[in-house]
Amino acid sequence: MQGTANEHALLYLIAELMSHIVWRMLNSFRQRSRRSFKLLARPEWLLLLATVYIVFSSTWSPVEYVELGEARIVQTIKPQVCIHTMLENEVQERKIKRSLELVREIGATTIVQFFPWAYFEPRDNQYNWTQADLIVRHAKNQGLRIIARLGLTPDWARPAASEGRATTLNYLPEASFDDFAQYAARLATRYREEIRHFIIWNEPNLSFEWGYRPVDPPAYVRLLQKSYPAIKDANPQALVLAGALAPTKEIQGSPAGLNEMDYLRQMYSSGAAPYFDALAVHSYGSTEAADAEPSADQLNFRRLEFLRQIMLEADDGAKPVFITESGWNDHPRWSGAVRPSQRLQYTIKAFEFAEANWNWVEQLCIWAFRYPAPLNGYPDNFTLVSPAFDLKPIYYAIQDYARGWERRPTQWLPPPEEP
Amino acid sequence: MSMRVRLALSLGLALITAGLLLLFASWIERPADKAKAFPRGVMIVGVDASVPPFASDDGQAVYGLDIDLANAIALTIDLPVRFVNISYYGLYDALISGEVDILISALRVEEARMDDVRYTRQYFDNGLLLVTRAEKPISSLEGLAGQKVSYEFGSVADTQLRVLEEKNEVITGLPYELPTYALDSLRLGYADAAIVDAITLRLYQRRFAGWPSAQRYLTRDPYAIAVPRDNRDAWRLVDGALAALKESGELDRIIAMWL
Repeated sequence: MQGTANEHALLYLIAELMSHIVWRMLNSFRQRSRRSFKLLARPEWLLLLATVYIVFSSTWSPVEYVELGEARIVQTIKPQVCIHTMLENEVQERKIKRSLELVREIGATTIVQFFPWAYFEPRDNQYNWTQADLIVRHAKNQGLRIIARLGLTPDWARPAASEGRATTLNYLPEASFDDFAQYAARLATRYREEIRHFIIWNEPNLSFEWGYRPVDPPAYVRLLQKSYPAIKDANPQALVLAGALAPTKEIQGSPAGLNEMDYLRQMYSSGAAPYFDALAVHSYGSTEAADAEPSADQLNFRRLEFLRQIMLEADDGAKPVFITESGWNDHPRWSGAVRPSQRLQYTIKAFEFAEANWNWVEQLCIWAFRYPAPLNGYPDNFTLVSPAFDLKPIYYAIQDYARGWERRPTQWLPPPEEP
Repeated sequence: MSMRVRLALSLGLALITAGLLLLFASWIERPADKAKAFPRGVMIVGVDASVPPFASDDGQAVYGLDIDLANAIALTIDLPVRFVNISYYGLYDALISGEVDILISALRVEEARMDDVRYTRQYFDNGLLLVTRAEKPISSLEGLAGQKVSYEFGSVADTQLRVLEEKNEVITGLPYELPTYALDSLRLGYADAAIVDAITLRLYQRRFAGWPSAQRYLTRDPYAIAVPRDNRDAWRLVDGALAALKESGELDRIIAMWL
């Protein structure tokens, strides 16, 4: 994990060497020239200087040194609070560090973080762990537990476009299941001390997330059957989370996907039970309050109770559930959004409801902490912190809840009445 | 000074003069070309008709502040106008792909889009307002120390108050579910001040026409018209028309009709 510091040192060395050579050349020419303007009259020297200038100005930027800082621990009274971070695309180490500091300060014990296969194994059996190392190193230093979400297929593990069909990064052919499992095992081995939880794929019940193919629960179970033993061999302490199922009302045969209840039933009937330790689910509130009754016709926070029921019917109730994505959106122009006041109150109520009623839920993770850059759309209004690290009121509200602070009211007042 | 040096100096001077002339010429623009700006002979306006009072759709036609503004601009430019009702998330794509010529749809100015679009001057500012009773005005955030302030829970107003609290100002916050409740709280005497957006305040003042209040902008949130970045002629025509409408008072009349 010292790769970054070494690379920086090497860059400095090269820069020093180059500037030394250029200086020697200029110096020797100056000694040989009587009049300084002759220097500028020689086109080859002008060309050399221009090249050096262009190369340096286009590639050289001040090297960023980021202190790891002293090791910290999370202070919280609500260990189930968890935040989904998006650090895989964050290019600046200081922003990775700042993000994780703020996650610790909010009182979250755990992050869900994406470790895209396509990023870290860009060529078959050639790994580049630079970004993963940064994330893991800083998360560990902030005392945060990591749930690793795995997905995104590299080019080499997908059919080539020349084979007749272009595929998306979410397209995982069955022929590459072994390669995926090997990647998962590599990750589990490398971060044996830091990462114990692994989510196999993301929202496989949505066609988009399954590479724009019809969703296929038996195929997903076969992926679990490959990944589970590979991860366990790498780290027997690891826990494999299946699903990360998306809330959706799609019915069997829909080109967009399949509702999470039917998908989970088909997972069980395909023999999934021995190949996961916990179920990951996504449970968004949509436009309803946190305690609104669950309904098959409505997407809301408590809809995951149906999934729990299916687990019990499959005699699999001993396994915990991880809500790895949740939250409300307050974009002023999105039909799936609520008002900022509702977003805040519903989110806190969701934590309270889960704590009071769902002892089978181990973590409740809020989507999402921060994006590296604005997306210019409603997804921006799922975040707790802006790209510029401005903390939104919901950040403070979750912090008050998680740390037991009473700085501000956690509920709105009733409408004022005429005196 | 040798002949060669004089010649070099003269040449340099000539080059600099020519450069300055070119620069000056680029500042003096030709008049905007209407046919180039709107080659279809009609101003096609993209609008999301789900944002009353800016734009709504009653099944027969679209109507609202943005529609009246578009009609007034088209009249100023002397072009017929046609509206295309597009959901918010398709607006910019429709503009960039050329399906529509301009967007008038309660759009906030977004810097991140400026590679693709050019915004006109603002026609409305929906920034946050500090609202107080007329008989007890408070002109700044600092003046709120020791006061009771109503606001929408979890909103940008909430953030503003937190900033003040971090400066150790003692403020009693009164959070409400809706910004209109925050204004009720002020009107009914529970709060000393309210922080709400301009649209909320203007609509509220229509309901309580006789209610006097003092107000001051705390933040800015300009609404403007979006034009494709590469259609400078359209931008000049539309922005010019908007300036004329502002100057004549027609813009204020349109806004006052809806807000």
